[in-house]
Amino acid sequence: MSGGANTPVETLPGQPPVGEHGALSCGKELSFSPGAEARFARLLTRYPTKQAALLPTLWIAQEEWGWISREAVDYVATRLGLSSAFVWGVVTFYTMYNRAPVGRHLIQVCTSISCHLNGAEEVFHACRKKLGDLKPGQTSADGKFTVVEVECLAQCDKAPAVMVNGDDHARITLENLDAFLSELK
Amino acid sequence: MAKVTVDGRTVEVPDTTNVLEACRAAGVDVPHFCYHPRLSIVGQCRMCMVEIEGVPKIQASCTVPVRDGMVVLASSEKALAARNATMEFLLINHPLDCPICDQAGECKLQDNAVAAGLPVSRTVEPRRQFPGYDRTSIGPHVIADMTRCIQCTRCIRFCSEISGTGELSLIERGGHAFVWTHEGKELDNAWSACAADVCPVGALTTKEFRFRKRVWWLDKARSVCDGCEIGCNVSIEHRDRVVYRFLPRVNLAVNDFWMCDYGRFRAEELNGNDFTRPVLRKAGTTRETHWGEALDAVKAAVDAAVSKDPASVLVLGSARLSTEESWLLAQLFKGTVGVPHVEFHADLGPERRIKNPAVPGGWLVGREAAPNSRGAEAAGVARAGKGSALARLLDGSYTPDVLYVADAEFTSRVSDPEFILALCRAKTLVVHGRRTNLLTDAADILLPVASLAGKEGTFVNVLGLVQRFQLAIVPPPIVRTDLEVLLHLGKRWNAFDPQWTAKAVFERMKGTVPGYAGLEWDSAGLVGNDASASPTSAYDVLLERRLANPAEILAAVAEAAGTAGGEK
Repeated sequence: MSGGANTPVETLPGQPPVGEHGALSCGKELSFSPGAEARFARLLTRYPTKQAALLPTLWIAQEEWGWISREAVDYVATRLGLSSAFVWGVVTFYTMYNRAPVGRHLIQVCTSISCHLNGAEEVFHACRKKLGDLKPGQTSADGKFTVVEVECLAQCDKAPAVMVNGDDHARITLENLDAFLSELK
Repeated sequence: MAKVTVDGRTVEVPDTTNVLEACRAAGVDVPHFCYHPRLSIVGQCRMCMVEIEGVPKIQASCTVPVRDGMVVLASSEKALAARNATMEFLLINHPLDCPICDQAGECKLQDNAVAAGLPVSRTVEPRRQFPGYDRTSIGPHVIADMTRCIQCTRCIRFCSEISGTGELSLIERGGHAFVWTHEGKELDNAWSACAADVCPVGALTTKEFRFRKRVWWLDKARSVCDGCEIGCNVSIEHRDRVVYRFLPRVNLAVNDFWMCDYGRFRAEELNGNDFTRPVLRKAGTTRETHWGEALDAVKAAVDAAVSKDPASVLVLGSARLSTEESWLLAQLFKGTVGVPHVEFHADLGPERRIKNPAVPGGWLVGREAAPNSRGAEAAGVARAGKGSALARLLDGSYTPDVLYVADAEFTSRVSDPEFILALCRAKTLVVHGRRTNLLTDAADILLPVASLAGKEGTFVNVLGLVQRFQLAIVPPPIVRTDLEVLLHLGKRWNAFDPQWTAKAVFERMKGTVPGYAGLEWDSAGLVGNDASASPTSAYDVLLERRLANPAEILAAVAEAAGTAGGEK
């Protein structure tokens, strides 16, 4: 993400434009809904320290708001008694926390070896072209789709595999791609 | 205790020591970046690799505790190869910008590259860039340049473990990782410049010192910060009669490895004298004069007042004077002249704090904004409290004929016109001054004096420790130190000899001043000069040893250059 001289300059999964490493603002104060609050309270009972509950708490935040904004970082940091910088460091360490808003359908195409051998690259590029020539990580204008390339989804026996939000979809090929995408619409 | 053998030398160290410190105790300095004696051990720079007999793999010496009978090979071929490889990895992405980098000369990476690295680089790839995160302000005192960062995380650990403010974190991962704050926050705490101190490279530098002076030109004097009563040990770094910066000196009893930003950035205030000659003001006329006339005028005014009533003279010392100066003030005015009112006032607050595990509670707290109220009291100058002559002067119930102020900056209230008006009720106002303020403007007799950097003497800090400070820069001609002013003034009553030095005064007073008995000038309070406690000493020694044979290094360079040429 540093835009280093030998790094291909592209936007990465659910992440802000290249060169933007700081947390983006969502422009409003955040707090957990009652449902998230209850999950958070249960969560805290399962870990020896509050710091240990950071990753699952960030998951709750991402499920709640769709992505991790600057305000979400501050909120989680306050709730767990950590510094905002530490929380942001953890968010940026992992790739599955979205650092910018993503579409309603986050289409994650696996291009690891089994899927690759079964034509996942073509599927990935066809997929993003069909949805409006999106760049990897870009969200379509109607806010419905974001297409990203990911590593192994543990579906090698059903390659090429695609995950949409939390759901697995197996054997997505150029032939059935249109049908698959139309279901999402 | 454990007996450890390092490169054939056996030392005995406590069981809790790590191998790196044991090596240092044995006189072998293992190069390192991330290890710092006061920060948690992370073992992530991989620079301090050593071989330990009986352990198959080489070990990061900072992470391994000693064992009795351990045999460490700190300079074996295997260890040196590992360290060279680490250096080469670090230098893949480190810019070769030493000529424009302010850390050059005190950079651990540079030192280790010279001492232990390969003479030429094998990389041809462009170096990693951090657009937007290079040469960027990260806080009120610190500029960050992430292209130079080697991810040792010392600054991050300083902020989370010492200052406890946690502003910094490692953002991103792997080769893209860099140190920064959370968006919208700054590296802003009371000790933020210490984060730049612990930075082994030029990734964090202080704005105040940046590009002011190459560090190898700087001369150093061991001094004591006069910002508060803690009395942090500092090195006054100066050149050509200009003070450029303070750096903390390690003193495990007082400031440990740290100092606060407030004290640190007082350094440049020590420069400059607004007055080059004594000034006499009479009936609206102001003229510069020579010391003889000025001091004669002081004596005449004091004598005239004392012959009427000794209580009509008020002498205000200061908690910013050295104990020697306070002692002279008390001896002269209380002893020889017989003035009853010799007092000082020290401002309270704001509170300064320094983290030090040797102090109960873990924090050393300074409440008084002056370094030496304990020394002034011990020397016989009374603290101005309720009912003191100063208090009565301020409430209007007492008007002295002569008011002698031995420090024009003894309180922050000298910028308060009402306060000055009260002091001006004295018929003759004598002031020791360096910088123009309302008090020096009001003085009838103004005596130009040197700053802390131009003096030597001792302070007694909040713990009651006597700490000596050394002369850094010779004051400008004609300007005198407070000590010299008092000696020359005392000579007019045949009390002192102007030839006395601070040391001579120290010797005279140490028998009678509480806390000074048995102290020796040469050793008094220079604890902070214990070089073995300094984290930088390792590199000095290393360099000295490695550079002892320049021919060897030149040969290595020539050989490497020859090989590189042959490959083309």
